[in-house]
Amino acid sequence: MKTTIITACFGLFIGFACVEGQAKELTVDEIVRKANHMALYQGADGKGKVTMVIKDKQGRIRKREFNMLRKNDDNKDRDQKYYAFFQAPADVRKMVFMVHKHGALEKDDDRWLYMPSLDMVKRIAAGDKRTSFVGSDFLYEDISGRSPAEDKHELIKTTDRYYVLKNIPRKPDNVEFEYYLAHIDKKTFLPMKMEFFKKDDRLYRVIESIKVEEIQAEENGKKVAYPTVTVSLAKDMDNGSSTEMTFSNARYNIGLSSKIFTERYLRRPPRKAMR
Amino acid sequence: MKILKNTLINFSINHYKLATLLMALFTVAMCAFFPRVEIDTDPENMLPKDEPKRVFHNETKKQFSLSETVVVGIVNERDPDGVFNPATLKRVYELTEFAKTLRWQDGERIDRLSGVIEVDMLGPSLVDHMSQGGPGEIKFEWLMSRPPETREEARAIRDKAFSNPMLKGRLFSEDCEVICIYLPLTDKHLSYRINTELNKKIEQMDGDEEYHIAGVPVAEVAIGVEMFSQMAVGSPLAMAVIFCLMLLFFRKWRLVILPMIIAMFSVMSTMGLMIALGFQVHILSSMIPIFLMCIGTVSSIHILSEFFDVYTNEKGRKETIKEVMNTLFVPILYTSLTTAAGFASLTFTPIPPAQIFGAFLSIGVMIAWLYTVIFVPAYIMMIPKRKLENFGMSARQKEDRSLLTKTLRATGNLTYNHAKPLLGVMTIVVAVAIWGTTQIRVNDNYAKRFVKSHPIRKADMALNKHLDGTYTAYLILEGRKPDKLTEKEARNISRNMVVFADQIEAEFKNAPELARGITKIIPGLAGQSRSYEDFLNSIIRHIDQRRENASDDDFYAYDELRTYIGVEKERLKVFKRPEVLEYMAALQHHMEESGLIGKTTSVVDAVCKVNQEIIDGNPENFRIPDKLQGVAECYFQFQQGHRPNDLWHMVTPDYMSANIWMQLKSGDSSDMKSAVKAVDTYFKENPPPVDLTHRWAGLHYINLVLQDKLIPTMLRSFLGSFLVVFIMMSFLFRSLRWGLLCMVPLTITILTIYGIVGISGKDYDLPIAVLGVLALGMAVDFAIHFLQRGRGKYGETGSWKVTTAMMFGEPARAISRNVLVIAIGFLPLLVAPLVPYKTMGIMLFAIMTLSGVITLLALPALLTVAEKWFFKKVRKAASPPVKGPGKFTPSEILSEESEG
Repeated sequence: MKTTIITACFGLFIGFACVEGQAKELTVDEIVRKANHMALYQGADGKGKVTMVIKDKQGRIRKREFNMLRKNDDNKDRDQKYYAFFQAPADVRKMVFMVHKHGALEKDDDRWLYMPSLDMVKRIAAGDKRTSFVGSDFLYEDISGRSPAEDKHELIKTTDRYYVLKNIPRKPDNVEFEYYLAHIDKKTFLPMKMEFFKKDDRLYRVIESIKVEEIQAEENGKKVAYPTVTVSLAKDMDNGSSTEMTFSNARYNIGLSSKIFTERYLRRPPRKAMR
Repeated sequence: MKILKNTLINFSINHYKLATLLMALFTVAMCAFFPRVEIDTDPENMLPKDEPKRVFHNETKKQFSLSETVVVGIVNERDPDGVFNPATLKRVYELTEFAKTLRWQDGERIDRLSGVIEVDMLGPSLVDHMSQGGPGEIKFEWLMSRPPETREEARAIRDKAFSNPMLKGRLFSEDCEVICIYLPLTDKHLSYRINTELNKKIEQMDGDEEYHIAGVPVAEVAIGVEMFSQMAVGSPLAMAVIFCLMLLFFRKWRLVILPMIIAMFSVMSTMGLMIALGFQVHILSSMIPIFLMCIGTVSSIHILSEFFDVYTNEKGRKETIKEVMNTLFVPILYTSLTTAAGFASLTFTPIPPAQIFGAFLSIGVMIAWLYTVIFVPAYIMMIPKRKLENFGMSARQKEDRSLLTKTLRATGNLTYNHAKPLLGVMTIVVAVAIWGTTQIRVNDNYAKRFVKSHPIRKADMALNKHLDGTYTAYLILEGRKPDKLTEKEARNISRNMVVFADQIEAEFKNAPELARGITKIIPGLAGQSRSYEDFLNSIIRHIDQRRENASDDDFYAYDELRTYIGVEKERLKVFKRPEVLEYMAALQHHMEESGLIGKTTSVVDAVCKVNQEIIDGNPENFRIPDKLQGVAECYFQFQQGHRPNDLWHMVTPDYMSANIWMQLKSGDSSDMKSAVKAVDTYFKENPPPVDLTHRWAGLHYINLVLQDKLIPTMLRSFLGSFLVVFIMMSFLFRSLRWGLLCMVPLTITILTIYGIVGISGKDYDLPIAVLGVLALGMAVDFAIHFLQRGRGKYGETGSWKVTTAMMFGEPARAISRNVLVIAIGFLPLLVAPLVPYKTMGIMLFAIMTLSGVITLLALPALLTVAEKWFFKKVRKAASPPVKGPGKFTPSEILSEESEG
């Protein structure tokens, strides 16, 4: 990396050198912090419609559709609330999945499940978050985000476009991977590719950001654009399956009330937020 | 015929070096293909590739992602907690972790690994556990994320495991003494390597546990290994035995080595040819060497035997061999042809390995014939004359006093003096045998192919003792979406949607009005729809259009109506319907209760288990939800675990096909048959709530398909070859009644053999089934030799009494020698560790002995009783039609007189 910077500094393209100069000041932790923010914490709140197309080894397809609401609890990129309302398949419509995510490592997330056919709310016990999310190739942790504090980070490469981070779990017993590599876009700081490895550097899982869109929003009365991953793809090499997740109708800073993210609203979804 | 005979014999005698060279060259050329040998032990290949049931089996495997699986059973019968103690569980964990690493790069493809499919592996550390956390809390976790430290923790794992009926009797035994790790393979051919690696690992592990490695792929590989050892050990052993026997009879190793050379060259040529033509060696074709070894020697033994008796120093080798070949050319050709025809009839069976076996055995027999005809005279010409001194006559004098000679003479007398009682006894034997054949039980068992001391057989016994069965068959249920839409269905949808809208009026006050609006266009939509599903889709599209620009209140009401139609659409997916699952549950229960099936597993069990845990964990909630949405939620929750894809081994993602895993405790195909029948009966007596087809898959079932084909096809091919041989015999003797007579000994032999099989309760499986056809081809040889020469001699003597005496001289001796050589020659099959080989060895020994004995008893007895009827024509026509021995040798007169 050093050589790159030196070469760049001696270059004639001042602007280019400036970008590199800026990068030089960034520590690994800063990259991680920024990436974490961009991936999960943009805006004070947000909503959108998520469509998942799960394709198995034989090319057979299953679909999932849900509306997603998110609200940050503070500006520290720590605690967050999620609310997922299922639309399809029709026979599980109205099922709701809610998370109160806690940034602190020692505090487990609170998770709830509402099952409309039984009209019953269940809490999901703390524990493993590396289970499949609705039968797709995304895991729960991929959706609500893996806390940066869970891993040790190491910048192993810088390319024209990416910072490549190697992330090694602090508690290897809790996860199925040995480490993962994250390709962070140098400009947007969005994670563009995550590669999960098992023992012997065997790549078995990849999540890629296929499409990034600038979503217009207002922040404190000013117009802003949030770069948002609208299409992403998770591939499981072991199963030979893949899931394409599309995020549409994305909106930020819509003023979601905290009370939506309570048990009471699991049974009666907030209508306005749903359309 | 004459031209063929003279050409061949003259060629052989006059150009004996060239003849030898040709034979050797062809053999060497064929041997060059040996390195290309491929072994096929795949039980699937017992059926043709396009056999519908095999095709379905493979479709099923693909549809439900089922792989061939190696099972590792860990047994602890000593610990009070069985396998659920910290030490054993630690070893189970260690072995599981080790098994995960058994993967290797797939040939040249760097991106692909082959070996154990980690995601589909089953083991205590690899399966999910769903349970109650705190009150109102549901918990998803691994059953054993790490090995327990204390006994309490180990027992807790046991209790968790017991709470999941899907694991009981499969992952662990209910007596807690066994845990199994299931290792599905990308390619079953890797099982040998995996087995070896596992055994290496197991050897390093200490502790009281016993380890068993089982599963069809392991058994297949083991059979392949034993096949090689059979061919490498069994055939040479047979050769050694035959050599010793012949040395005993002929005493001249220079002569005895001749049949050995012929047999060996025939075997090598035939196997080489088979490999050269690209056929794989299957368990049946691996027996070709031993068959040819025995059959290939027969003709040359006949020639030798005759040569031995006829040779005199005065005549010399050239004249003697000419005379002998003249006498024996026709019978040898016919015996070879009939044997070949018998084997060739196997090519008409729909069982590919039997076809290849039959085809190449018959080719091999003809190769052996050719080698015999061209090489035997050539070889004799190559023996220096002086080496034949004291051969023949003088030796024969000794022979006259031997036990064999005496016994045969006594037999001859018996058949002449007590012909009627003898035939009476045989009739009784045949009657009993016919009854016996009706008792035959068709059955095969893959595991029982191994002797009891074999590790595979031991594993099979140990695991089935504890578990609910290790033999898996799949019952595939398939539903159908209605392809037509009836007017009534369309009306029902309209009406029910309105009823639904009225029900939700309190919450969505516009719903009834909007619903009625939709019903107006429903008849139109119905008219344009090709199917029910198509119809529902068009309603949904229509609602979407209306919803688009509707007010918020209308939007939500439309959403509800849309969902209502959406659920109706889901209802077409039959395995989401509670009543269908109830039907499956009842069927499973029925099969388990009947005792035919050890354990059944299906989506029903998954749905019930999830339902129980998402409600409150109470065992009474281990049931199928009442509503389709409830079932759907269970499916949904199941997929939220660590192993969502486990669901697709039981149901297809479109929920139109379901797979009930049936575990059988026995590998007997007859038990599989009972299970198939029981399911058929159940479906007949209890019609399913929707249109459901049921079909079976799984190797265990494929084995049954083969068994079901055995009797009819083998009977057909047996009757076919019986007819062919009969026609050939009638042609040979130019007489239908002689042709028929020729069939008598083999008919009695085969009936007796199958009678014994039936009465003794020995399972009728593939090796036994092909035996009948083999026996036919081989047993007829003795009758040909006996009748051919008997007629010739009768033509000269004109009296059966005199002929009998002569027949029980040299001809009977030749037959007896042959019987002994072949029968005993097959016995080395007994050293094989595979049961089918042993069976073949014993059965062939019995068949050869019996047919020899029956030929020597039944034929002379029948001829004695019906002398006039049979010999009327012979006397008239004398000998011309049959080119038998034209002259009477002095030695035969001598032997006849000495009997006096």
